[in-house]
Amino acid sequence: MKIALAQISPILQDVRKNINRHLKLAEKAKKERADLIVFPELSLTGYTLQDLVPEAAINPNKDDSFDAFRLISKEISIVLGFVEEKGKGSFYNSAAFISGGEVLHIHRKVFLPTYGMFDEAKFFSQGKDISAFQTPFGKTGLLICYDFLNYGANYVLFSQGADIIIALSAAPGRGINENDAFASSHMWELMGETVSRFSTAFVIYCNRVGFEDGKSFAGGSFIYSPEGTAICRASYIDEDFLIEELDLSLLRKARQKLMYKRDNKPEVILKNLYRAVFKNED
Amino acid sequence: MKINTVFVERILTKFIKDELGKFHFKKAVLGLSGGLDSSVTAFLCAKAIGAENVLAIIMPYGESIKKDISDAKKVVKQLGINSKTIHINPMVDAYYSKYPIQNRVIKGNKMARERMSILYDFSSREKAMVIGTSNKTELLLGYGTIHGDMASGINPIGDLYKTQVRQLGKHLGIPEEILKKSPSAGFWPGQTDEKEIGIDYENIDNILYQIVDLRKQKKEVAAMGFSQKTIDRLVEMIKNSEFKRKLPLIPKISERTVGHDFLLPYDWGK
Repeated sequence: MKIALAQISPILQDVRKNINRHLKLAEKAKKERADLIVFPELSLTGYTLQDLVPEAAINPNKDDSFDAFRLISKEISIVLGFVEEKGKGSFYNSAAFISGGEVLHIHRKVFLPTYGMFDEAKFFSQGKDISAFQTPFGKTGLLICYDFLNYGANYVLFSQGADIIIALSAAPGRGINENDAFASSHMWELMGETVSRFSTAFVIYCNRVGFEDGKSFAGGSFIYSPEGTAICRASYIDEDFLIEELDLSLLRKARQKLMYKRDNKPEVILKNLYRAVFKNED
Repeated sequence: MKINTVFVERILTKFIKDELGKFHFKKAVLGLSGGLDSSVTAFLCAKAIGAENVLAIIMPYGESIKKDISDAKKVVKQLGINSKTIHINPMVDAYYSKYPIQNRVIKGNKMARERMSILYDFSSREKAMVIGTSNKTELLLGYGTIHGDMASGINPIGDLYKTQVRQLGKHLGIPEEILKKSPSAGFWPGQTDEKEIGIDYENIDNILYQIVDLRKQKKEVAAMGFSQKTIDRLVEMIKNSEFKRKLPLIPKISERTVGHDFLLPYDWGK
């Protein structure tokens, strides 16, 4: 399969302009014969919304904003980030997988960072589900930013048989040292390498760039193979657009060598997790 | 505390360019003192938006710090940016002839606000954003005049300690004599920050870095060999200057209040 990573800088709260940008880039990816284009977290709205969350929200079932995506998804699948309104007045930091003319799956961010420079739980409801789902490219799981830094969330997708883990991100860079990237970029790459190898799955990480209220989103989007090797990496801090061919047969090859999937024992993990949760064995 | 100066230059010039663009400014205006911080900021602005779009205003009081004026002019020449020299004696002296005072700090603060007032005047005249020149060390210690040199539209070097600004300055090609200058508020001739605090900037920055960036406790920093007295002094300075880093407090009485729960992004719609 061919995949496009759209490492963009969305316009804060201007959903209309962002939709147009998405469609243009999807067209571009389509011309390059890509099967799937991935955008960053909250790619339709920008990140630092605060009190603007309700104004930027979309209900994909009722809102016509998604019609254009449904239409183009007959030719190229799209993963994007948006503010989802569920019912009336519940807002989620969500990601949608749109393919074959329909919204195949919506993931609602479970882990909302609320510390230091982050205040997501102040403005968003917390998602409760982590599920892998069937796509034309194999079983796929979506995670959003801080979700991906939780190894439990990745383990759930692994145990559900995910072949592809897609992480949408709006990660601000932090920490400067002698390297030519933010210290935090290294952390994401470390997780990408680890999760891909120990899940024997592709990991596709699409981060955004640009500044919002002084925060510099760090870019550095990447793809890791099911054996944990880096396939590509986008520019740090600048906009970028990568097209990459993924050889899905690598999944089978990796799993003949690395037995983590075969030897996984989710029932043992579950039993012991149950004890940790319900018997207060912290 | 070593930084990759190429990467930092990339981030900061991109920030200046982006932020000016978002607010539809083509030009930048800043006060150029002949010191390191404003020189580095001028270099970054020139790289970000082009020398022809940068206006540096040199605003001396008296003839006291001639070396600074000539250093500032050297930077202007080196970069090819626009500049103006505006002596602030007439305005400041007019005021103090009516309300005389001897206190050098009070006078220095007044001068800093006089300069701010000129910068904002030229901001409107030239449709240029005022660029701040405060580094992280002085922001943390409160070594700046509230509504004076601390006032600006954006402050590109605000997350770099003084010694890191020096690293960046060296990389950018700032003249050697400016790089070597002892940091000073410039309130009177011979005044330096290091004399006032009692230790050099390498150590000040290192202590602040341990406490602020690495979140070490004071006793852990003391165990590294720094004097407890100095550590206490710096922490006290941070504490006593918090008001300079905040908007004025508003007592909350309504349902939704500016500065409390009226939470909107600065870059809304940008």
